[in-house]
Amino acid sequence: MPSAPESTPILSNMESDPEHPTAAEASAALIEAEASRATLAHGIATPSWFFASISAAVTAQIATTAVGLGADVPWVMAAGLAIFAAIAGMQLARFRRLNGVWLGGLASRVVLGTGIPASSSYAVALGAAIWAAYDARWWLVALWSIAGGGAYALSGRRWLRRYRALPAVHGRGESAAWLVAVGVAAFAGLAFLLTNG
Amino acid sequence: MTDLDATVVPPVRLKLLTTLTAVSEAEFSTLRDTLEVSDSMLSKHIAAFEKVGYVTRRKGVHRGRRTTWVSLTPRGRKALSAHVAALRALIDGVD
Repeated sequence: MPSAPESTPILSNMESDPEHPTAAEASAALIEAEASRATLAHGIATPSWFFASISAAVTAQIATTAVGLGADVPWVMAAGLAIFAAIAGMQLARFRRLNGVWLGGLASRVVLGTGIPASSSYAVALGAAIWAAYDARWWLVALWSIAGGGAYALSGRRWLRRYRALPAVHGRGESAAWLVAVGVAAFAGLAFLLTNG
Repeated sequence: MTDLDATVVPPVRLKLLTTLTAVSEAEFSTLRDTLEVSDSMLSKHIAAFEKVGYVTRRKGVHRGRRTTWVSLTPRGRKALSAHVAALRALIDGVD
């Protein structure tokens, strides 16, 4: 039986070689790839009450830490931390479920507040609330706690805007090792306050 | 000039790796919908990248269903950067 003639893959001048794209094809591929990334980043949404609940959790955490130290009731501090951990964990799970992605940057910068605006406003608010609690000015404790929680949430919103503009830069967040180091430092600070407060 | 990475040359693969740079981990159907490809096509590309160590995948659950989560490895990130640099050099060489 005569065999069919083998076809030779000769490319005409009008056809492109997929292994060696032309400059126009390279440019189109890059534009498409970046558009695809932008589509994903712009489609990222936060679950309902996300920032409000993070703000409330941080407010409660600052207030309970200040009250716990000012009134010498350590369990109040532990309760505040537990409230924060529960709300943060729940909102991260909702975010993942809603978007089908995990964003390390959101977990660290927005929820754990590792960005400079969130961490510095938190430190100022916590310090002022503790000072007010030692002076038994409870209305100031409430005020500083609310201010700290609000600033924390606002810096989270700012991060989300920056992420949407430059997703590859902001998406990953800090490394796990860095987060562990921050966690250890936070617990050490809390233990210091509990033992020397 | 840096050579193009043959594994990343097909445009849909470049889209896949580039899209993964926006997240730490993405669920299979999210990637499929973003890239507008079929399940089998996406599986094929992920398998090719997994073979050369550019992505990792793990089994997980999403909305109560068993699914696959995909993430870019440091090696994949490096390969993508090199490939994009080569593409830009190719474009600049003509301009």
